[in-house]
Amino acid sequence: MAVLRPYLYTGGVHKHGLLIELMEDLGGYIIQKVVTGTEVNLIMLVPEKDIHIVKQLSDELLGVLIEAPLTGVEIAVVSPTLASHHLPHSACDVAEYLRHPGANTNMIGLARGMGRRVSLSMDYERRLINEHDIAVFTFGSFSDCITRKKPKLFEGIEVPIVVTGGPVDLKTEEIPGADLYIGNIGRVSHRLRRTEEINALDRLNEGVSKIADNIRKQQAKDPLAVLPARAMKEIENQVPEIHRVLSPAPLTLQLDGIRVKLPYDEFHEKIEKMEFDEGVNLSELANIFRSKMKNYILIKIKSKSDVGFAI
Amino acid sequence: MDSLETFVVESAIDSEQEFYRKIIEDNLASLKLAPAVGRIKVVLRPEDSLFQMVIILRDVGTRVTTIDIADVEAKPVAGEVMISIKKEQYIPELLGKLWERYGKANISQPDRWTVAIITDKPAEEAAFIREMMVADPRHRLHENLVDFAIRATPEGFRVRYHLYKDNRFVFVASEEALKHEWIEEAGVMLDELTEGGKK
Repeated sequence: MAVLRPYLYTGGVHKHGLLIELMEDLGGYIIQKVVTGTEVNLIMLVPEKDIHIVKQLSDELLGVLIEAPLTGVEIAVVSPTLASHHLPHSACDVAEYLRHPGANTNMIGLARGMGRRVSLSMDYERRLINEHDIAVFTFGSFSDCITRKKPKLFEGIEVPIVVTGGPVDLKTEEIPGADLYIGNIGRVSHRLRRTEEINALDRLNEGVSKIADNIRKQQAKDPLAVLPARAMKEIENQVPEIHRVLSPAPLTLQLDGIRVKLPYDEFHEKIEKMEFDEGVNLSELANIFRSKMKNYILIKIKSKSDVGFAI
Repeated sequence: MDSLETFVVESAIDSEQEFYRKIIEDNLASLKLAPAVGRIKVVLRPEDSLFQMVIILRDVGTRVTTIDIADVEAKPVAGEVMISIKKEQYIPELLGKLWERYGKANISQPDRWTVAIITDKPAEEAAFIREMMVADPRHRLHENLVDFAIRATPEGFRVRYHLYKDNRFVFVASEEALKHEWIEEAGVMLDELTEGGKK
């Protein structure tokens, strides 16, 4: 199987169709296309051996091609509540910055996450967070809270946990349950724009990319039965209703699945029965659930060892 | 008293003190409270879930009349009063008052700095307009102070006590039931802050 590398192309709308066609010819995938005015952003998976061809075309079109290590990763940015204490700064800044390297982020405000003794999360919220690949918790400025009180919010979270907070000298090991701690992104009431804040966001992106790479490496030991990107393309071809969905990223790629932003009751059978060229149905290769998010469809692809074969 | 003559944030850990100083600065700025605050002291005790804040306000009670923000000139021949605006920030309030008195049809704005009013008695009306109260900054101060206090406090601290008397503002917030001595401590802080400026 060809190794695919995630890339982000930024350039003018003019002739960007050539790039889409090239991607079809090479067997790569367009994950997301965002047109803003005369600019277009294409997030794509490019076969490793053909990267130079894509680079050449992007240079011809006077666009910029950069690696986007978080492509195909869906991240939950969890803030204790949705009150003005945490939003729009810093939680939104964190979410926005994570999108630069290609991630899809969802903001989740817990209903009762605030406070020291009284903070708690609900079963529904934990399940919603577990639908994502990585969870980023944005906490405040007191080290006492971050190390001793807030970690109870991690109970029941099965995905890797990244924590952001104000104190710079905290170590990841001091926070029980966290996989990574990034300081200098605490509670602020201004936009994150000072040098040390931007540096912290850069470190966050690097750290999260590393975690995503680790998950991919683990996955490579027992590959998925079908590439999520391929399943995504099949849905685009076989379920035309997806083109009329107005949500951003109607098909959101995850490391081990896809979130399909169509109502479950109406479409789940159609998606289960979707057939690949090899003659197998998607339901043989993946578990299809009702998502905790807005009654959407969540596809989690099984591994090769579960299914017995991979396509 | 100068604005922000004293600005103290106290906490057991220095770095956390700095974060809260910044949060308070930002919130003071976004609510445009900085000119109104003379002295402010905040004490944070996360281990007790306690936030105490005392503020001594400056005298911002001066009401704004038209003459403070504009030149008013009577034009008896044309039957007009011309107002030349000097401070743009009060235009909405000024226009509101003028519309109420003269009606929208009699008021025109040839440009952004000028308001012309058609009237039968230009001289008398000009004299009236000069002394007319346009805005009272004290009016919204209390509301803004409470809003500021809530924004600056850690979000989980939902048990609150506040006192606003003369030019003093005391605010205590916690996650637990408030202890009486915490409020007394805040009272002592307030006394210290009041004395602090007398030297």
